[in-house]
Amino acid sequence: MMASRGYTLLVIALSIPAFLWLVPTLWMLSLSFQPNDVLARTTSSTAFGLVPLPFTAQNYADLFAFGQTPWWFLNSIIVAAGMTLGVLTVSTTAGYALARLEFPCKRTITVLCLIGLMVPEQAVFIPLYTMFADLGWHNSYHALILPRMAVPIGVFLMMQFFRAIPRDIEEAARLDGVGWLRIFWYVMLPLARPAMMTLAILTFLYAWNDYLWPLVSAQQREYFTITLGLASIQSNFAQSEGLGRVMASGVIASLPVVILFLIFQRYVVQAMTVGGSKG
Amino acid sequence: MTQTPAAWVLLLPFLAVYALFLVYPFFRGIWISLHDWNLLAVAFNPDAKSFVGFENYVRVMWGRNIEWGPLSRPLVQGAGYLGVIAAAGLHLTGRVTRVTAIGLAVLGFLAIGLGGFAPGEGGRWYDRRFWPTVGNTVLFVSLTVPGVTLSAMILAAALNRETRAMSVLRTLFFLSQVLSVTVVTLVWQIMFSPRQGLIANITQTLGGTPITWLTDERFAMAAIVIATIWWSLGIAMILFLAGLQDISRDLYEAAALDNCTGARAFRHITLPNLKRTITLVVILQIILHFQVFGQSHLMTQGGPNDTTQVLVRYIYQTGFRDSELGRASAMAVFLFVIMGSFSVIQFIIGREKK
Repeated sequence: MMASRGYTLLVIALSIPAFLWLVPTLWMLSLSFQPNDVLARTTSSTAFGLVPLPFTAQNYADLFAFGQTPWWFLNSIIVAAGMTLGVLTVSTTAGYALARLEFPCKRTITVLCLIGLMVPEQAVFIPLYTMFADLGWHNSYHALILPRMAVPIGVFLMMQFFRAIPRDIEEAARLDGVGWLRIFWYVMLPLARPAMMTLAILTFLYAWNDYLWPLVSAQQREYFTITLGLASIQSNFAQSEGLGRVMASGVIASLPVVILFLIFQRYVVQAMTVGGSKG
Repeated sequence: MTQTPAAWVLLLPFLAVYALFLVYPFFRGIWISLHDWNLLAVAFNPDAKSFVGFENYVRVMWGRNIEWGPLSRPLVQGAGYLGVIAAAGLHLTGRVTRVTAIGLAVLGFLAIGLGGFAPGEGGRWYDRRFWPTVGNTVLFVSLTVPGVTLSAMILAAALNRETRAMSVLRTLFFLSQVLSVTVVTLVWQIMFSPRQGLIANITQTLGGTPITWLTDERFAMAAIVIATIWWSLGIAMILFLAGLQDISRDLYEAAALDNCTGARAFRHITLPNLKRTITLVVILQIILHFQVFGQSHLMTQGGPNDTTQVLVRYIYQTGFRDSELGRASAMAVFLFVIMGSFSVIQFIIGREKK
């Protein structure tokens, strides 16, 4: 065990890179509180490089008065909430069935479902585009929500979870003559709450941060998600919006996921490690 | 006992969505790749597409008078030979598992085999951009994956203590991982700006001349690599922390009795016991970063002069800017083959006994 003084030195030594790691986000926050006319000339008008001088909250006020950021934000809330609910529903039910129920072709169906984990989003966004175009579904919430519900990471996660539950609990309920669907609803679902929380957070983070599919599917500005909106103003930030307001948009886009992370840190970490290559 | 009715009730919602939005599109994508399919023409006239077999694959991946040689592309094939030799050496000395050695050897042979094709006398690739784009993507992965893996491993080893201070520090390092790629590119675009960027501000304060990171061919790839490493550290760090938790404390205590502590303990105890975790992290990062799109699209727009053009962006442009869905789909199938291969490797390693 390290001596306490060595430990203290280690904490101090690690605080420096930790602060450096935070600098980009702190700088974004700093710029968002500086007046645009000052920023048009220089971004060095600060104390210690990061403290905004002069300070203003006008960039945020302007966002809500003139910008489309609130609309993009609302779209992202709708899509992320819809996707989370959808994924939770289909993944929990399917995961339970594959983990605990016996039926013909079970093994085959399980393998077929999990093979989908190998298919990256980038390999199917072109045919998906043509499908939704044929249906006339682009520029809609359901076009943004439905494709993600098909990704089997959620089923995999829930299946693993249900497999780990001791069978005694189910057997006890079955001996009382309870049917399987009622066992699922009243016994297994409450037990699954931690896993569902992990999956919900994983899905929300993915939906909130997704960029490629919205780029292809949401071509009308009224259906832009926050990522699309941020991307669209990035290409001409100096000319149209002013650096301060662009950075304020970045802060607004980051707040939900940062707050979600700080509140549910354990679940966020678990979710992202599970869904690592699908996030 | 069979619970078929209940099973189907519970399975059908997912199976329906899965079949409609993943399985069917996957095969439809293959189908599109076998056609000359112009997005705009087909939009107006659904019959304006023609079956061309594998012509799209030829037009994208082959050329006229292409020849193979053992040293046609010295850097790529040299790396392949080194990879195969390294795999054999590591396996014979028992430093890595058989699966890891085989994986490395396969990568080496792929580099030798695929890297050996080049235009001969009077020859040329039909699509001059495809293989350079794949090369850029491989370069991006080759720089990002070691950067993330090494940084995460060192940080995890340093932060692997259950105290309030260490928990806070882990939180700070993980924070960037939850941000969207559009926020990451927004921040780093401004960070790298030669006129307004924080890096330029610091450089000028120190008396230097700011670098035009995003518009200089020498630095643009480095810029998106730096932004990506910053963004991607969190998951890798957590996986290493989990791997470190699995190492028995008894090993360190026994080693301490032999004066094996600090850096020596890291080398002789931590590293050998993290082999499986290192491999998993590397494979996971390869899968993640081979699919790079937003960083290239938003920070550098694939430039300057296509030096940061990456495969997914090229697929996107070919399909949605140039309307060439057939060729874009052929490239997407190519992407799937690569990603699928790494996913299989990941699955096999994940199932290995600890």
